Amino acid sequence: MDAALPHSHSGASEHAHRASFVRTYIFSTDHKMIAKQFMVTALVFLFIGGAFALFIRWQLAYPGTGIPLIGHLLPDTWVNPDGAIIPAFYTQLLTMHGTIMIFAVIIPLLVGMIGNFCIPLMIGADDMAFPTINMISFWMFPVAGAIMMAGFWVEGGTAAAGWTGYPPLSAIASTGQTLWIVGLFIVGFSSILGGLNYITTILNMRAPGMTFFRMPMTVWAVFITAIIIIIGTPVLAAALSMLFMDNFVHTSFFTPAHLVVPAKDMHLTAGGGQPLLWQHLFWFYSHPAVYIMILPGMGVVSDVLATFSRKPLFGYKAMIFAILAISFLGIIVWGHHMFQSGMNPMLGTTFMVATMVIAVPSAIKTFNWLGTMWRGQLDFTTPMLNATAFVSMFVIGGLSGIFMASTPVDVYIHDTYFIVGHIHYVLFGGSLFAIFAGLTYWWPKMTGKMMSETLGKWHFWVTFISFNGTFFPMHILGVGGMMRRIYDPTVYDFLKPFQPMNEFITINAMILGFAQFILVAALIHSIRKGKPAKRNPWRANSLEWEAPSPPPHGNFDHPLQVYRGPYEFSSPESVRDFLPQTTPPEDVKRHMAEHLERLKTAEAPQSDSTH
Amino acid sequence: MLTWLPENISTFGNGVDHLFSLIYYITLAIFVLVNAVYVVFIIRYRRRRKSDKAFHYHGNNTLELAWTALPFALFAFLAFYSDGIWRDIKYSTHAPNPDYIVEVMGQTYMWHVRYPGSDGVLGHRDPALVAATNPFGIDPADPNGTDDYVAINQMHFPINKNVLVRLSSMDVIHSFFVPNLRIKQDAVPGQWVDVWFNGRKTGEYEIACAELCGSGHYLMRGVMTFQGQTDFDAWIDQQYLNAANAAAQKTAQALPASAPSPTTPSHP
Ligand code: HEM
Ligand SMILES: [Cu+2]
Ligand SMILES: [Cu+2]
Repeated sequence: MDAALPHSHSGASEHAHRASFVRTYIFSTDHKMIAKQFMVTALVFLFIGGAFALFIRWQLAYPGTGIPLIGHLLPDTWVNPDGAIIPAFYTQLLTMHGTIMIFAVIIPLLVGMIGNFCIPLMIGADDMAFPTINMISFWMFPVAGAIMMAGFWVEGGTAAAGWTGYPPLSAIASTGQTLWIVGLFIVGFSSILGGLNYITTILNMRAPGMTFFRMPMTVWAVFITAIIIIIGTPVLAAALSMLFMDNFVHTSFFTPAHLVVPAKDMHLTAGGGQPLLWQHLFWFYSHPAVYIMILPGMGVVSDVLATFSRKPLFGYKAMIFAILAISFLGIIVWGHHMFQSGMNPMLGTTFMVATMVIAVPSAIKTFNWLGTMWRGQLDFTTPMLNATAFVSMFVIGGLSGIFMASTPVDVYIHDTYFIVGHIHYVLFGGSLFAIFAGLTYWWPKMTGKMMSETLGKWHFWVTFISFNGTFFPMHILGVGGMMRRIYDPTVYDFLKPFQPMNEFITINAMILGFAQFILVAALIHSIRKGKPAKRNPWRANSLEWEAPSPPPHGNFDHPLQVYRGPYEFSSPESVRDFLPQTTPPEDVKRHMAEHLERLKTAEAPQSDSTH
Repeated sequence: MLTWLPENISTFGNGVDHLFSLIYYITLAIFVLVNAVYVVFIIRYRRRRKSDKAFHYHGNNTLELAWTALPFALFAFLAFYSDGIWRDIKYSTHAPNPDYIVEVMGQTYMWHVRYPGSDGVLGHRDPALVAATNPFGIDPADPNGTDDYVAINQMHFPINKNVLVRLSSMDVIHSFFVPNLRIKQDAVPGQWVDVWFNGRKTGEYEIACAELCGSGHYLMRGVMTFQGQTDFDAWIDQQYLNAANAAAQKTAQALPASAPSPTTPSHP
């Protein structure tokens, strides 16, 4: 991993930098090293969050049965003497599973890893606009993660009010809940710093000739995402601050008067607050946040599909306008999470209409991806397989969204496993498959090593099949009425018939969880034994493929001039089936002329020989 | 898929189920169509020869317009169609005149239910009096309230009657969910929300809590029993009797059990 070793060209001022291990690997300001740091940290959290999910699934399939192998090793605040999870720990697990996966896995991977790695390289900059802020933005993330995780070891355990943290439940003082609030606040701060950096970099540091409409979709998507982050995250920060005050000094922003709380703390009777206020503020951030978690993935998938279809992206501008529409509409649909909350039902009507409309740009994007593959020359490499899966899984996630957008249907399926199915089709089937696509696509550039296609494909197929086996049946559980976040479905007669399905889901979930070790094996194998990567192993057009693999500190070893968009694949003007953004038009013409010349001379003797 | 839905017994449930299946078939058709095209593309356009170039094509504005307008029309229609049913379920202006009015108060982890006493009137409640022993904060000074019947996790109603449930919570947010009635409504502390339904089939149906309310969330199970009118009348009379007897025992002062048949309560 000598990727971040400074290149000698970067000048004398970099000498101190080169000398220090700490500055290179730990407090690095190089966007590529920061991207790797985000990657490693988030992958660690992926396994932690995944382990939590498997504990949850075990309990749901075999309620009250001890966890095999490790059940007896866990502390008695987590499990009963049989080694089975106790309800209090179960709610902590489901809370931390959601929180970690969203804030410590998907957002850091898509925005932190992909954003950091791709933006400067794809727009032809030597680094981010504010490298030090970039470093700080990364370091806030593991700190926040550690604070949240610390909750498991404080008295009363960690936060247990769900990832949505609805008060009054979350306002009943517990140390773990406070740590959750502080951790999220810091993660949000990190996001805001990152977002500012991305926007500034994209606005100011594009290479000569890199106009807005020549930027790859990944850059566009991260750009818009950064804007959403800047608009939404401060609102989350405000809400978290209020919740913190409610917990700490009993301000009652969110707690009404005369609550009867079993806890010792009767200050809550102060009152005057509104539980629904939190939901409005939270979803005002968290609905746009679901687009923070999908837009960069859509960008990545657009780039990967175009490259491996060897075709221009279908409707490039339409794709950009669709993203803009999604991000604008995304800000006015938050109330669809609150249809049954006690909010004025007239608002339900308004938010339903907005939500239905937001499905339109999602449909536009899907059709354009299909258009991109139409009459292409599809190469099913590992990144392409993952991108292909993304499209199809996102269609399922988008369509299940229509059920929930319809208010009367939502009355029934709200807070059931139908929602859990939806979430995972968009966030796992969508975002995570896009992350796999992006990771395997840019891995050769990141590390200078190719990844094993065999391991990559094994990982893909096992993940894809067990993913569907895990999450599709959840829609059926939802139709059956199974509530989310319950510890033991067998308490209810109407849920008893679903127990075999719960077992089926758990078995698939186990396979899905353990399949992720194949990915780790592929990454380690590549670092150890991978073939060296060429500059442009996928024969793609965008600027990152102009840099050495891996790029040195400062990125490019020659000046860049951009002449065209990033998707000129299979152009009839060019000899090869790709046309890098930097190849001067006169060179393209000359190559073509030479090529035609060669063809002619090759043909001439042939016609001679027929005599 | 929709065969997994529990039996619907409520009047507006038909509309919900109908909409559910409409959306199901529409989305199923879209899913099959999109994925059929997708699979055909994946097979047909797979690279066969290294030297072949793909079709160099940047897009088509007519197509873009078409696949913007069509989904828009479809989703606008769904929103419009949905809204009619939504109004019937949740708009208080659309709810029918209630035949019975009861109050439900969520508490971790149970549902308190309050029926008006034999006078048919729910007594005055005072939020300041709410306590674990008096979940509704019934005001002892109001004679209308002294005969109110309060139960836990058990609700009985006659079939084919419009029931209005006034819903709230005394601690955290719960959600009142009766799958067979196709009704779900959060119970929010500090706020009363009206829920109405009309059950058409006798039997016992489970009540669940659908909003995470703590570690015992899964235990918040209640039972709603729908009975014929005469059975219901007998049941409620018995409850009044029991309640009166219990009260009598408490004060060790025998009172004649008054049990007039519960007439339809008027709007309190
Ligand atoms: C066609 C587009 C979409 C529509 C119409 C849609 C609609 C909805 C609706 C109405 C809900 C609330 C359901 C309820 O709680 O009753 C919901 C929940 C959710 N959606 Fe979507 N959605 C769409 C796309 C997405 C995408 C792209 C993501 C993320 C990448 C996403 C992530 C989520 C999450 C995480 C929740 C659940 C939040 C929770 O309660 O824990 N959705 N969606
Ligand atoms: Cu949303
Ligand atoms: Cu609950």
